[in-house]
Amino acid sequence: MANIFPRWTNWLAIKAVIAVICIKAAVILGVTYYCTPKYTRVGYMPTQPVPFDHSLHVGQLGMDCRYCHTGVEQSSHSNVPATQTCMNCHSQVKAGSAKLAEVRKSWETGNPVSWVRIHKSPDYVYFNHAVHVNRGVSCASCHGKVNEMRVVWHDQSQSMGWCLDCHRNPEKNLRPLNEVYNMDWEADSYHAQIKQGMQFVKEWNVNPPQNCAGCHR
Amino acid sequence: MNKANETISNTTEVTESMSSSNGGMRYWRGLEEYTQTSEFKERLKDEFPAGAHEFWGDDTSRRSFLKLMGASLALAGLGLNSCRRPEAYIVPFTETPEWMVSGKSIRYATAMPSRAGAQALLVSSFEGRPIKIDGNYLHPWAGSATDTFAQASLLDLYDPYRLKEFSKSGQKISSEDFNKEIKGIRDATTGSKVAVLADVVHSPSRDRLRDELLNTMPGLTWAEYDPLISEFHAEAMELAFGKGVKMTPVYEQAKLVYSIDHDFLGTDLGGPGAVRGFSKTRKVEKAGDKMSRLYVVENRFTVTGGMSDHRLRLPFSQVPAYVLKLAQSLKALGITSTSIDSALSTNGKVKLPENVSLSWIKESAKDLMANKGKSLLLIGAMQPVATQLLVFAINEALGNFGKTFKFTKAPEYKPAGIKDVVGKASKGQLDTLIIIGGNPVYNAPVDLNFSEVLKKVKNVVRLGLHDDETTAAASLVAPAAHYLESWGDAIARDGSYLNIQPLILPLYDGITQIDLLGQFLGQEAAEMPMSMQVVKDTFLARQSAPPADEFEKEEIWESFVHHGFIKETQDELLGVFNSTTVSNYSIQNPLKNIELEEGKFEVVITGSYSADDGRYIDNAWMQEAADPVTKLTWDNAVLMSPKTAKKLDVFCKMNWEVKGIQTSELVTIKANDYEVTGPVLIAPGHAEDSITVNLGYGRTRTGMVGRDAGFDAYKIRTSDSPGVVTGAVIHKTGKRKQLAVTQEHHNMEGRAIIRESPLAYFKKHPDFVKHLGVESHSPVKIESFYEPPELTAEQQWGMSIDLNICTGCTACIVACQSENNIPVVGREQVMHGREMHWLRIDRYFSGDDVSEPEMLNQPVSCQHCENAPCETVCPVNATVHSEDGLNVMVYNRCIGTRYCANNCPYKVRRFNFFDYNQRELDKIYNPPFSELWGVSSPRGTPETIKMSKNPNVTVRMRGVMEKCTYCIQRIQENKIEAKVKARNSNDVKIPTDKFQTACQQVCASDAISFGDILDKKSEVYRRKHFSHDYSVLGYLNVRPRTTYLAKFRNINDEMPGADKLGQSSVSQIHHHGDDHGSYGDGHGSHGDGHGKNGHGDYSKDKKHHGEKGHEVNHATGGHH
Repeated sequence: MANIFPRWTNWLAIKAVIAVICIKAAVILGVTYYCTPKYTRVGYMPTQPVPFDHSLHVGQLGMDCRYCHTGVEQSSHSNVPATQTCMNCHSQVKAGSAKLAEVRKSWETGNPVSWVRIHKSPDYVYFNHAVHVNRGVSCASCHGKVNEMRVVWHDQSQSMGWCLDCHRNPEKNLRPLNEVYNMDWEADSYHAQIKQGMQFVKEWNVNPPQNCAGCHR
Repeated sequence: MNKANETISNTTEVTESMSSSNGGMRYWRGLEEYTQTSEFKERLKDEFPAGAHEFWGDDTSRRSFLKLMGASLALAGLGLNSCRRPEAYIVPFTETPEWMVSGKSIRYATAMPSRAGAQALLVSSFEGRPIKIDGNYLHPWAGSATDTFAQASLLDLYDPYRLKEFSKSGQKISSEDFNKEIKGIRDATTGSKVAVLADVVHSPSRDRLRDELLNTMPGLTWAEYDPLISEFHAEAMELAFGKGVKMTPVYEQAKLVYSIDHDFLGTDLGGPGAVRGFSKTRKVEKAGDKMSRLYVVENRFTVTGGMSDHRLRLPFSQVPAYVLKLAQSLKALGITSTSIDSALSTNGKVKLPENVSLSWIKESAKDLMANKGKSLLLIGAMQPVATQLLVFAINEALGNFGKTFKFTKAPEYKPAGIKDVVGKASKGQLDTLIIIGGNPVYNAPVDLNFSEVLKKVKNVVRLGLHDDETTAAASLVAPAAHYLESWGDAIARDGSYLNIQPLILPLYDGITQIDLLGQFLGQEAAEMPMSMQVVKDTFLARQSAPPADEFEKEEIWESFVHHGFIKETQDELLGVFNSTTVSNYSIQNPLKNIELEEGKFEVVITGSYSADDGRYIDNAWMQEAADPVTKLTWDNAVLMSPKTAKKLDVFCKMNWEVKGIQTSELVTIKANDYEVTGPVLIAPGHAEDSITVNLGYGRTRTGMVGRDAGFDAYKIRTSDSPGVVTGAVIHKTGKRKQLAVTQEHHNMEGRAIIRESPLAYFKKHPDFVKHLGVESHSPVKIESFYEPPELTAEQQWGMSIDLNICTGCTACIVACQSENNIPVVGREQVMHGREMHWLRIDRYFSGDDVSEPEMLNQPVSCQHCENAPCETVCPVNATVHSEDGLNVMVYNRCIGTRYCANNCPYKVRRFNFFDYNQRELDKIYNPPFSELWGVSSPRGTPETIKMSKNPNVTVRMRGVMEKCTYCIQRIQENKIEAKVKARNSNDVKIPTDKFQTACQQVCASDAISFGDILDKKSEVYRRKHFSHDYSVLGYLNVRPRTTYLAKFRNINDEMPGADKLGQSSVSQIHHHGDDHGSYGDGHGSHGDGHGKNGHGDYSKDKKHHGEKGHEVNHATGGHH
């Protein structure tokens, strides 16, 4: 009796299994990379209505973060400054600059400037700025070296895994409290950072929440 | 068997068991449970009543749901547009307001006016919108507590159905035009043709404008009307004490409170201050502690009756006879008073209903005599003047005045009543009527025929918050500003002077009462809002020594606005009792002894715990907060005792039409040519031949929420007898109605859940709670099958609820709703047991006699079990334990299997069956997929309702489980605050009792305490170490973090039937004594075991925690 199935069918099952494994692997790898915040968020650099240059204001002029982001030490939310804050200086300095037209318009009409949001935590996440900056986590740890950015971009992934990395090992990112707003501060070495960080964890009783309720309520 | 036969057999079942003892069944919540009908037993098997697994109100079944879901998923796959990150904007201020820190709320002191006097409040404002109302903790009267209505008034502010436009004869006009119209009316009329009909708000500024108005327009009629304020009481007060005297009971001072038809803990003008004062005398901490005693005589169960130690059911109309009998008994015991004598002289023999035993009256009178100067005899304000005077006379003779009653000055001006306005209008003597607040077209006495009379008045000017019946009848209408939008002032119930400041600009350009009166006076608005200027002037004028310096004036005004009140040196009056006047009055007006005719009934008309006088009918939070006693939501009913229902052959029962839903017969009440039809609700503990109906429902012109809610009991209420209608006839109509009663939802099946004892028993057996229920037999700390959570945090949260002082008022439920963004679900969904309240109050009846049960309340929310059964069954880890002992719910993980709710022994988990934030805008409930059927209108949440949400709590969507979080947002906020404060120090602990949960904060009786159970200084630690602390269902070894303190009754042993009161728990101890040897012998060792292993050993556990936390836990478990 002749073979019902031709010879090549002997390998069909194995080939199919290998093909499925390859496709699955490709899909999984694709999704893990292209759907993570590392891909979707990091590098997001929208054009703002006013070309505000952090590298000029912070980097060159040496302004403190808290001059504009006034609520950061008290509130969950680090506020974007009111038009009034810009006008403190720009009613005198560069008062006629074309780049500031939007700001002047806002000041005259009372309509606020609509800045494009870069960092957005989901609605079910309750992040608090105050508790981080008051306990030795620098702005730079989450927002990157803003003092060198001409246009602000999304620097870190700010995914939940990224949050937990630090909440599990806070020593990697703790620094002396007087260096929190110093964007350029770095420990002498990685080992120095860990050593000092461990010391802070102990001395300051740092115990970042790792349970869900820490951020989700 | 056909339906009718079935019904009859069932009622026989109910009525037969009324007389007989029902064996082991000691606590019951509804009649079905009491009789253990087969339907009830059947229902217990289900988590939810009728068809919760099926959609309802349409033909959608689970199968068709899946089909549709499949289709919509396939469609969703076609376009992946939603994957793109949308561009969002940050819109900062142009100029930041002072004090504003973006992301933080600010609290402002203000006050809510009400008929009994205002409540001092602190309102949280988040970025300009008020989001939560709390009591002003600085104010001595009620502290941080408020009543239920104050909590819910936030929703009134944001009600999308508020009156929004100025209008003339139904045509929209501008506010300037309105102002012109007002001026026109004023110029065209004389004072004698003008009347003002105002609500009662106790505002000195309004009073000042009233006086100015009366000066500039002589002959003007100023009338005030509130349907729940009694003219009888005012008359009795004036006769007894003269004009301008206010009498306030001092509950803190009373060792004995004897309340006759006076619900001071509930609706009758007592308010949170009364509850607070009373509960101070009822706190029991250890065996041997004393507490005050409460006698209550009333026709229906009220909140006060539920708290009573001795309660007597008495029809409303028999109260005068009862008071006479009480006076006779007191006289026999040697009390001397001319006014009592003269009252007794005019009355011969009095006859009381059969259930009233003379020894009850005699023994309670003896108790009154034993507490001279330390007792309070209270009488319902709707009782006849002569009765109230006799009660005053008894109090006087007992020496209570000046001791337990204090007297303060009240305004002497006596406004006219609604009768005077109607009298003038019907004679055509009025051409202008200004109706400020209230809703007289709806709630005026029916015999005045108010809406007809109104047609004879040319100009009817209306200032109202809602588009209601009165607004519809007015010719010139202005929207009123909510109190959270107004400048104003008010006198609090304790006599202090409160400021009302706006938290937000009027949402709909509303104007205040002061604005309107100012306009009518022709005052021009200065730069600041006129009402603020008026209040400031009033405030400065009230100062005994007003500063001359402008700067100082500003300073005291600002401090007044900041604190919200000033304590004025109220001249305390002596309160001279005018016994001659009282004697003369009682001789001229002898107390009437009304005998109830056979076949006729008295109908008692009271305010509602949910809708008040009708003003909260449009408030969804109030509608869904069940009546504390009947547990009825979204409706009112005709309440009657089981025996009266049998006599009338009417029914209200479960499973009649739909499984698990109460269906009741509609009856018509006919009296004095008036009639009203409503559903029957059988109320255990109700007096025989007496019927109770609640006011406030059956409004004809309301917003979406109040539509079709209940029936209008005002239709039988007359001006002569606002409290009761006697000689009413009840007819069956043959129609039925389904009611949303929550009393048998979330049943925990009669285990030893609620525990009580007489106070004297507790003295002898301080640890009696440990000998109740299955845990008296079970090993105490057995090892858990599952790995216990690591409780490593420095602070461990827990709660203790004192059942002895909880009145069951439901303020906590509404406060929780406001704090935690809990949606309302509507009448239909409540019927299915899908109410979303995180906190419920179980109301239990106890005792063997269904006619005369005792009542107890037990608030139940998530117990935060350490070995939580919900956590072990969740397939996706959506409910987990935190290291500080919270059972946390992670919404974004939840996929809605509902296994956790099934496995929860306390039945405290709530599931979002629908997206309650995406319902059709004009409906409270709409069937699922109605948009597919093509019957849909736009969906979403009205913008204003969105403004009421707490930004620190997630708004949940369809398909997720939710439950009490112990107000985790407040815990986190305080943790963060402590850490922010700590900076580079190691002290990150939240200070002892630094913050409160929402339910704890609002509780006037201080029944709830919350805090760190490891902190020996904390109140919750103290309470959890009382000997009467117990866990509900402790034998399950779930180790709940919420524990309860047992309930006590301070029984007077001489009273008839005293041996049966408060016995329902402890009698079970004797039972088990019979089975297992006597109490204290065989079980003594058990007791010790419990003592060692209750919550008290937390601190011990804690020492071992840390890295080795749960090994030690295992070890301690292993011991037993």
